[in-house]
Amino acid sequence: MARSEGLPVPGSRAARPATEIDEVDLVPVRTYWQLVRKRFLQHRLATIALVLMLVLVTASIAVPLIGGDAWFKTSLTHGPKDPSSLAAPLGYDNLGINIFFRLMRGLQTSLTIGFFAVLIIAGLGTTVGSIAGYVGGWVDNVLMRIIDIVLSLPTFFLVLMFVAFMGQGNVFVIIFAIGLTGWTTAARLVRAEFLRLRESDFVQAAKALGASDRRIVIRHMIPSALAPVVVASTLGIADSVVTEAALSFLGFGLRTPEASLGNMLTNAQDYFYRQPLWIWYPGITLILLVLAASFLGDGLRDALDPRQRIEA
Amino acid sequence: MASYILRRLIQAIPIIIGISLISFLIVHLTPGSPVDKFRTPRVSPETINNLIRLYGLNESLPVQFGKWFSKFWTFPFDNTAWGYSFTDGLPVRDKIFARIPSTLWLTGMSLLVTVIVAIPIGILQAVRQYSWSDKIITTFSTIGYALPTFWLGLMLKQTFSVQLNLFPLFGQNSFGKQGDLLDLLWHLVLPVTTLAVIQVAGWSRYMRASMLEVLRQDYIRTARSKGLADRQVIFKHALRNALIPIVTLLGLTVPALLSGAAITETVFSWPGLGFLGVQAVTERDYPVVLATVMIGGVMVIIGNLLADVAYAVVDPRITY
Amino acid sequence: MTRKGDAGTLLEVRDLRTHFATADGLVKAVDGVSFSIRNGATLGVVGESGCGKSVTALSVMRLIERPGRIVSGTITFGAQNLTEVSDDEMREIRGNSISMIFQEPMTSLNPVFTCGNQIAEAVSIHGGLSGGEARKRAIEMLAQVGIPDAERRAEEYPHQLSGGMRQRVMIAMALSTNPELLIADEPTTALDVTIQAQILELMKALRERNRMSIMLITHDLGVIAEMADDVVVMYTGKVVEQSDVNTVYEHPHHPYTRGLLASIPRLGEKRDRLEVIKGVVPNPLNLPAGCLFQRRCPSAMPICDVAPPLQEVAPGHLSRCWLTPAGGPPSVGEAPGTQVALDAAVALSVE
Repeated sequence: MARSEGLPVPGSRAARPATEIDEVDLVPVRTYWQLVRKRFLQHRLATIALVLMLVLVTASIAVPLIGGDAWFKTSLTHGPKDPSSLAAPLGYDNLGINIFFRLMRGLQTSLTIGFFAVLIIAGLGTTVGSIAGYVGGWVDNVLMRIIDIVLSLPTFFLVLMFVAFMGQGNVFVIIFAIGLTGWTTAARLVRAEFLRLRESDFVQAAKALGASDRRIVIRHMIPSALAPVVVASTLGIADSVVTEAALSFLGFGLRTPEASLGNMLTNAQDYFYRQPLWIWYPGITLILLVLAASFLGDGLRDALDPRQRIEA
Repeated sequence: MASYILRRLIQAIPIIIGISLISFLIVHLTPGSPVDKFRTPRVSPETINNLIRLYGLNESLPVQFGKWFSKFWTFPFDNTAWGYSFTDGLPVRDKIFARIPSTLWLTGMSLLVTVIVAIPIGILQAVRQYSWSDKIITTFSTIGYALPTFWLGLMLKQTFSVQLNLFPLFGQNSFGKQGDLLDLLWHLVLPVTTLAVIQVAGWSRYMRASMLEVLRQDYIRTARSKGLADRQVIFKHALRNALIPIVTLLGLTVPALLSGAAITETVFSWPGLGFLGVQAVTERDYPVVLATVMIGGVMVIIGNLLADVAYAVVDPRITY
Repeated sequence: MTRKGDAGTLLEVRDLRTHFATADGLVKAVDGVSFSIRNGATLGVVGESGCGKSVTALSVMRLIERPGRIVSGTITFGAQNLTEVSDDEMREIRGNSISMIFQEPMTSLNPVFTCGNQIAEAVSIHGGLSGGEARKRAIEMLAQVGIPDAERRAEEYPHQLSGGMRQRVMIAMALSTNPELLIADEPTTALDVTIQAQILELMKALRERNRMSIMLITHDLGVIAEMADDVVVMYTGKVVEQSDVNTVYEHPHHPYTRGLLASIPRLGEKRDRLEVIKGVVPNPLNLPAGCLFQRRCPSAMPICDVAPPLQEVAPGHLSRCWLTPAGGPPSVGEAPGTQVALDAAVALSVE
């Protein structure tokens, strides 16, 4: 609060040109990604979910590497009656296999299936969706009909059929089945984004500047359209893992000695009376995975959507 | 409106053809022949050939498709329209029709429970956004939604049925109590809970989001500025708008009424359509599998149409 | 509620402060605003977007929601202080003695109810009219606001009407309970110019008819000139100038007001460049010290580092500026006066 000295002169502060704007007048500018990161980190649950997810993924990679063959090595000396130890924190199952290592191996398998299935979903979905959305016209119509058809079929049943008839217990068939039946939602999302973006000002501007279609699509539109795909993919991983587990539970998924969260649950079901905990290990892992993916997806959705408000 | 429905039905025809094609192809393009399961040492090659001829499997695929497709739609009148089951030789249509009521009981009840529970919860959450109740419910919702159906079913079964012996272990009726409503309801409790927990979790989130969206609108501010009490603002002005997407959701849930409970039915050995379908896949009972998939697909189309019609009825802005 | 005598103040706002606790910081949307509205008079509240005029109106109606809050001040309406009455009492007043119309008629009307229904609702909750009576009144109001074929229109939905008609419906709804004060927040901004004129004419006619006071909020100086008796100019949450409409337009004192008026292009005037007020409105999260207009002011002086209070530069004419009534700098020659003013301002502006 300065006190003025001497004769104040009107307009003395006005000597600067009319176009100058003082720094303090502007809201600090951040790039889109900085904003995204800031919004994401404000979501405490999503951040926790991200950490949890990373923990799970790391464990699923690291533990089997460390354990080597522990996940399928049966043993006659160890069994369900063994108390949990450092080497076997969850004990041994009815075949003498170290449950912890088997669980992590199962997690790895499930995650792998989920990951690759989602890759198919995202890839196929984005391709079809962007073509439909950008080209429009009869191409769009045909593609939409195809999507409608695939969407109309009962998804899980289709996967079941596919896997059962084409190759039960085959990891690739499972991945393929989940991917081929799940891409339609992603395609719709991408198409919707593309339809919206196609008429947007910045695309018109790019066209006015003479950019080629391909450049517009790849450089300008796909990044914008990716946001919903990313969110859908995160949730899709959880979905795929659960589908695989359900498949295994029904007997169509991976068979022993392969380990998956699903077939561990099937095994646990048989022993529920004597070993009630066994059903919880794969179950909790599965639930944690789904929860982590859900919150992560929510957080990503909020962070990537510029229209969301965050209240104090 | 009538013309709209007609138009949609006509538009649905190519989709139905598409569904039929895909279902048919999956079944027929599987490695091996549909009659492989019959090739045991006790069955003579002649019988196999007869079977092949009986099922028209020696004809070309397009012809097979044509025959099957045209026969399919005669089902209201002809109980052989869907062929005969490979498992027990019974007409597929009869087998399926027998199962439909069971599935409808299961899914219908859980839908009812879902609507009754989820909508008020969603409203409560939206009105008291960020309060403790909102946060707690959201947490439970998220956990509930994350539970895999079969795991939840399994846990419920093992806990309440096996250990606590409170509810029956499987099936729809206890022996000898075929028409007993009370017995049926008792058997329904666990499977319906399994389905409903997850559905309520999902729907309440949906309702909450819809309500929140509506509460943000300008016309809610106008309603308040007229001096309306909170209760009127919420239940008259807001709810009426917030329910619109829910109505659509209801329409879209219709298809799941017949085919969405396969896993739950299997866990509880509930004699429904989904269980039949899973068994058929296991047993390679192709006619049944085919019919089940077709029904699922057609239901989805009907469901979509219902959803759109309901939407038009409920939202005055939509005109056809 | 009985109407006040013909002379006299209907609404008096004293030192209203409404703050918003946002995720990025505290936004003082309305920070010490005072004004009054006489019976039957129209007060124009003018200012740029974000200056707090809408928030002021919503504060009067007590429609401010989280994270906003009326922090302090009084709003005297008749015998009551609206910042202190209970929720029930406020609901009695809203839509009844004080009505409000908003900027966007399309989104401000509920899409699933008919126009007639929405108007009838207002009278039935406040007037206790039965369904049939309320409906009759609704049709009456629709006719009054100049909607032809009112009975048929009452059964139509908002989306079936044009923008101008929707705004008429809003006005009908607001006036159906015969309020003493109508708050109009940018009522014509979203409308075409020709429709604007019609709506303004309608408002004038209804104002005459109902002997109603209006608080008219707008950024359009032309509308203010048409409609207002008194004017309040707002800038970043504060009143910067206040007087009757003629004084403000013919003898504007505050540099902001002068800048606003100067920036209106005049017919017949040929210029190379349009007058602008340089700079931008300060960031509400990062308000500078001293006079908030300083950085953009052509008459800025060192003394402006001290925030000026609202001072009377002529009877009934207030301005928040250090410039003398004549428009010149406060001179050192007026030593005691200036010094006292300086001391007072330093003491006051611990903001």
